[in-house]
Amino acid sequence: GACRVSMSMTEIRAGFTAIKANIQSRDPIRTLSILSHPHSLHKVKSSDRCCITHHLFTFYVDKVFKHCRTEDSFVNRKISSIANSFLSARRKLGQCREQNNCVCGEESTEKFKQILANYEGLNVTSAAMKSLGELDILLDWMEKSR
Amino acid sequence: GEALLPAPQSISILSTNMKHFLTWSPVIVQGATVRYSVEFQGEYEREHANGSWIPISECSLTAATVCNLTEDIAASVAYKLRVRAELGAARSPWGTTEGFFNRVTTSLTPPLLRVLADGYHLLVELADMGPAFQFRVLYWRKGQESRVQQKVTREVSSVVHLDTMEAGAEYCVKAQTHVEAINRSSSFSPTQCVRAQGDTSVWL
Repeated sequence: GACRVSMSMTEIRAGFTAIKANIQSRDPIRTLSILSHPHSLHKVKSSDRCCITHHLFTFYVDKVFKHCRTEDSFVNRKISSIANSFLSARRKLGQCREQNNCVCGEESTEKFKQILANYEGLNVTSAAMKSLGELDILLDWMEKSR
Repeated sequence: GEALLPAPQSISILSTNMKHFLTWSPVIVQGATVRYSVEFQGEYEREHANGSWIPISECSLTAATVCNLTEDIAASVAYKLRVRAELGAARSPWGTTEGFFNRVTTSLTPPLLRVLADGYHLLVELADMGPAFQFRVLYWRKGQESRVQQKVTREVSSVVHLDTMEAGAEYCVKAQTHVEAINRSSSFSPTQCVRAQGDTSVWL
């Protein structure tokens, strides 16, 4: 079945755009990617999209945002907005999964394992900042596959 | 120390059309200007960030008894707000909102609109209410209420063309707002009707 979750991408995108330069400037390792290594999210099959999205929301909520606190109040406020939006969207996706409309195939499981491996290959703060800096990769992929 | 300053009282949130304001009663200290600081906590902070609070810099050490929360209440989850009084080094205990605030409860008012007849053209102009708003405009020829037409638009502060009217006929318009982020709509505005210019052709 399909999983239609309403979330205000415009607000999340605006919040991220406001802090993108600041966050990405804190990521010294430009040659690595958490979300796109070795394969782009765009390669994920449509049937697996819902599951990988849910995995990624859980990843950001549980692992990323909490390690991105900065000395900049404005940045912290925007991170809070994004984190609370992800939490709200994850809840809706979770309800969808409970109704078996968000099946996890082998590919999405494999892809998410790779993302976790990329993440755990760095120290936690670097990994979290890099992941946050790659949020536009996730947002682009979500909007393209809508 | 802290005991000198009481916590602000009557803390409440006023939320209309997705604009959210925290207000509280002033703490009175004769001959002194008491200042206030406001912090917020979303569901994420409660559940995943050890119940941390985030200061709102525009409302740190403010003398006002109101704080604009709109930029920070940017998700449809349950938020808590707190405010304390500060005077020199003295700080009051925090006063915290009772219960939670979720922006889905904001009150939505009908849009302000201006309906114009420009010759045979039926036009409408909608007041700007912010980026979260789109407008559902209904219009019909008077007497033909069963043939209502609809236009959904985000265009504000400029004239939107609705229809080409028949000479001398009267047309009516009403509108409501819709906020996608919370999936709610306002009630309809009062109906406004205008008449198209009469037929200028002359039978010879």
